Amino acid sequence: MKMALKIWRYDPVKGERALREYEVDAPEWATLLDVLDIVKDKHDGTLAYRKSCRMMICGSCGMRMDGAAVLACKTRMADIAESGHAPVISAMGNMPIVKDLVVDMQPFWGKIRAVDPWLQPGYSDPGEKEYIVSQERMDTIHKESLCIMCGCCVSECNSMEADPDFLGPAALAKGMRFVGDARDQATVERLQSYSEEHGIWDCTRCYFCQERCPKGVDPRDAIAKLGAEAVQTGIDSDMGAKHAKWFVTSAKTTGWLRETELVPKTQGVAKSLKEVKFAMGLLRHGKVPPPVPPHVAKHVDEARALYDLVKTQEEQGAQGIVQVEKPLSRVEFLAEGGERDPYGEDSFPRPNEIEKPS
Amino acid sequence: MRTVAYYKGCLASLSAKELDTSTQALAPKVGLELIELEAVTCCGAGDIHEAEPDYYLHLNARILAYAEATGADTLMTICNVCTLNLRQANHALQGDAQLLARVNENLVSVGAPSYSGGVGVMHFLWLISAGEGYELLQGAAHKGLKGLKIAPFYGCQILRPSKLLGFEDPDKPESLERIIAACGGEPIDYPAKIKCCGFPIIQAREDVALAELIQPIEQAKEAGADAMVTPCPLCHLSLDAWQSKLHKQTGKDFQMPILHLSQLVGVAAGIDSSELKFKRHVVSVAPVTEKLSV
Repeated sequence: MKMALKIWRYDPVKGERALREYEVDAPEWATLLDVLDIVKDKHDGTLAYRKSCRMMICGSCGMRMDGAAVLACKTRMADIAESGHAPVISAMGNMPIVKDLVVDMQPFWGKIRAVDPWLQPGYSDPGEKEYIVSQERMDTIHKESLCIMCGCCVSECNSMEADPDFLGPAALAKGMRFVGDARDQATVERLQSYSEEHGIWDCTRCYFCQERCPKGVDPRDAIAKLGAEAVQTGIDSDMGAKHAKWFVTSAKTTGWLRETELVPKTQGVAKSLKEVKFAMGLLRHGKVPPPVPPHVAKHVDEARALYDLVKTQEEQGAQGIVQVEKPLSRVEFLAEGGERDPYGEDSFPRPNEIEKPS
Repeated sequence: MRTVAYYKGCLASLSAKELDTSTQALAPKVGLELIELEAVTCCGAGDIHEAEPDYYLHLNARILAYAEATGADTLMTICNVCTLNLRQANHALQGDAQLLARVNENLVSVGAPSYSGGVGVMHFLWLISAGEGYELLQGAAHKGLKGLKIAPFYGCQILRPSKLLGFEDPDKPESLERIIAACGGEPIDYPAKIKCCGFPIIQAREDVALAELIQPIEQAKEAGADAMVTPCPLCHLSLDAWQSKLHKQTGKDFQMPILHLSQLVGVAAGIDSSELKFKRHVVSVAPVTEKLSV
């Protein structure tokens, strides 16, 4: 079938960008990567893009389609072609473009390296003993372990756009992969390092990473897990951690956010005094509600008692997020049409129906 | 009339009271009867999810339980962040009987009602941009905006993650545009309408947040918007109150009026100014009200 697309080309020698249109004949099952291969083979051999495995495991072919980062090998084109839309293909964001659809991944790898992405087991010689980790403990880092480092999350990160030094979703998810690993003994050092400026508390919770990740890593949740582990471990001197903790204090004391006290509790009294002029401007419009008398929720004693109760239970720190991953993944499955029988009509044959070679 | 449990959240009780009053005034015109929840707390705003995730789950379960106790099948929110936090907790509890049992045991032991999983969480935007709510809105607010150019600003947590929100295409949303057009306004298109306003880190990382905040305001201004509208009081606070900081930092004085969704529809539907409370905004809404002669 005919498939049309527009590609943002970039010529590094001339420093010129141009949007070029292509129309190719491609089989119905073609992915974006297949279409790019046809463009390169039959229409324009100068087109540059990365590829390797063609099966969503190597992470090479991250690029943008209509502004959204995708893996080219995971993106089927038939429906788009049928709709008559010619999608715009461009290089990923937040990384410098080398040529056409190829970006310079050096800043990406620099951040991955900055989180010490290797196991630090606390011994140099494992000796003869075999260390066994239960499946349950490994489940804690199941999602983070799925990362193929394609860069789709980083491409769309709103915090990184504003602060290029932000460690970003891929590196922090990698960090959580080791913080949550039962064998790793560098948890405290890691949490201290990740809690510095440009770390955990720089995430603006735009959830673009979660939306774009082609492998279900859910980097934003990984960052929240790091935050929960940091607070749990007492590594909470960053303003972001103090901000988060003030919501907890508010919920268990008055129920509602104690909004006016949030600034001094986050920034400290000295720094917030510098904000007096700004605050006065807000005060004139009722944007600074008086903290006294506090706005107390009805039956707030229940919220207080709940806090004390859950603190005695086992789902502390990141485990509080891990415990809901399974039911939430069910939503993802349903959203992708999972209600149908995965072995049903128009699908793969059931395992016991596959014809065995004689 | 559709009866819904109404969770107004923290800001609409305090610094964004105008959001609460305009929502309550507008509700009957769009077929909604609101039962306000009183014995509820903050949803945690993503902060408790990050600091004490198990406590976050219990607080939200408690809100859902009180909503269910009203007999309504829908919990209506008026804030993006409340919407995501509540929907996330709701999906988790609905999808795991063991988890629900543990949380319920805890809720009951502190004297709160238990939750059976029978409530759906819906943002006000969703209730009035489709179905019966939208039909009533079309009648109530018809042509009220007199061709005013309005830039829709969605914010993040009503679009993403779409598997938990899922009302519309997170990359090409159109609910706000549909409402603006139904109210007689002209929706303005600009790329940053689905991006972040920076609010979650505006106190801990102000420079990063401001570098995010400037994008939608600047683009909306360049596209010729008379005002921006948002379904989220947190986006509203950063877009409205922090504009002065953008002015100080960049020298650009945008003077862009920012309306809550309920105010935009409310002003088109002739809701009284005493309920819309535009004087509570930091950036003057006068250019809008003058054009509409209200």
